[in-house]
Amino acid sequence: MTAATQTQNTELEAVEAAVASVCDPEYPDVSIRDLGLVESVEFAKQGVLVGLIPTFSGCPALAMIAADVRHAVEALPRVSTCEVVWLTSPVWSTSRITPAAKDQLASYTVVLRAKDGGLRCPVCGSNSVSDQSEAGPTRCRSVAWCESCRNVVEVMR
Amino acid sequence: MTATTMPATVSGLNHWAGLDEFEAFIDDGGMVEPGDAMPEVYRQEVFRFIEFHANSELMGGLTERDWIPKAPGLRLKQIFLAKTQDEIGHAHLLYMVAADMGVKGRTEMLEDLFSGRSRFHNVFHYQAVTWADQIAIAYLVDAAAFASQRAVFAQCSYGPYKRVLKRIVAEEGFHMRHGEEMLLRMAEGTPVQHQMFQEALNRWWWPAVQLFGPDSAPDDPLLRWKIKSERNEDLRDAYIQKYVPLLQGYRFQIPDDGVHFNEEAGKWVVSEIDWEPLKATMRQGGPDSKRRITNAANNWADTAWVRSAFNLEGAGAP
Repeated sequence: MTAATQTQNTELEAVEAAVASVCDPEYPDVSIRDLGLVESVEFAKQGVLVGLIPTFSGCPALAMIAADVRHAVEALPRVSTCEVVWLTSPVWSTSRITPAAKDQLASYTVVLRAKDGGLRCPVCGSNSVSDQSEAGPTRCRSVAWCESCRNVVEVMR
Repeated sequence: MTATTMPATVSGLNHWAGLDEFEAFIDDGGMVEPGDAMPEVYRQEVFRFIEFHANSELMGGLTERDWIPKAPGLRLKQIFLAKTQDEIGHAHLLYMVAADMGVKGRTEMLEDLFSGRSRFHNVFHYQAVTWADQIAIAYLVDAAAFASQRAVFAQCSYGPYKRVLKRIVAEEGFHMRHGEEMLLRMAEGTPVQHQMFQEALNRWWWPAVQLFGPDSAPDDPLLRWKIKSERNEDLRDAYIQKYVPLLQGYRFQIPDDGVHFNEEAGKWVVSEIDWEPLKATMRQGGPDSKRRITNAANNWADTAWVRSAFNLEGAGAP
């Protein structure tokens, strides 16, 4: 590896870290990278180009997330400008969420559905969680109820 | 799975010999779960508090909804649509937690709300006259609600409520950012926009300050049992210290001739608060109470056929 490509790799890593430092406005401690929103980070002619994918296209946080990413990247010493684009493909799914983010979501009593469609309560660990409503407080979540510990559970969808 | 998400006491098998033993458990930072044999006085007080919160989220969501068609531009319509879904969704989660406490069912709580028998936050008894009022609500009222909910979340002794609050508080923080963004546009906009927000501020300053309620009683059971972690007057004062200089910094005038900075105390002081308007809202006698409750009741009546078609009455979870 030449010195030049090594510097470039280090710079790319710095940009990637800056993008990952941005958290979801509705989960202030969960990184957008861990939620699977970051698709591409590259150096383009004009500056840095970040490709993000939305969980749902109607999500009200998109403009805020894009602005936060721009600010984080443009704060780096060797970056002049950063452009953020919302990509229409690939389509986001819960399979893009990392195990780390899954644990963090569990601390919000928010769970992912298992491959067989089942739900495990993040509070008591039981399987007696039943779906209640397709519509939750946000586009990306539905509402369920744990009959065992009697807690409201929300499901990423 | 982390330790915080799976507390050892969640099986809900605690019982206490008397109120003293229960209060010692609370003092030790104990968390009360639905299956615990909690004292009846605790059950009643916590239930009433959550019911009030749920009612307020629902009435607040209906206010946001009224402004979706009038919001200027697609982006703001999208935001108001999402905020409406948020608030109604929060009400749904809170009604589930409240109903599970076995005092009133969900339908009974809604019927009590729509017939004026139960209460909701004072701020939803006033009329939003212009779009700037909606911004004042987003900037001032959401911030007051956020501060008061965060103080409940801080120590909340009732497990299921605390878990729902964690998400609600995170989402209200997001609403506040929208409120700040919209306020900036008015503050730095044309003189007409500036004046429009000033007029809205004249209508909403006192209701927002009064949202925290009158001074807490010395023996407030909600403080004793760690549902509230801070006294009403302390939260109200912190709010005044933050928002008086912020609003003045944007060249807005606080609608209070007596507001001043007391050098000796090193803090902002407002005039003595007239609590009559708050008391009126608690009797459903606020300026817009009647229209809002009737409107919500009509919604409920108009959607009866949906509930009956899906056979939803009394099905599934509380």
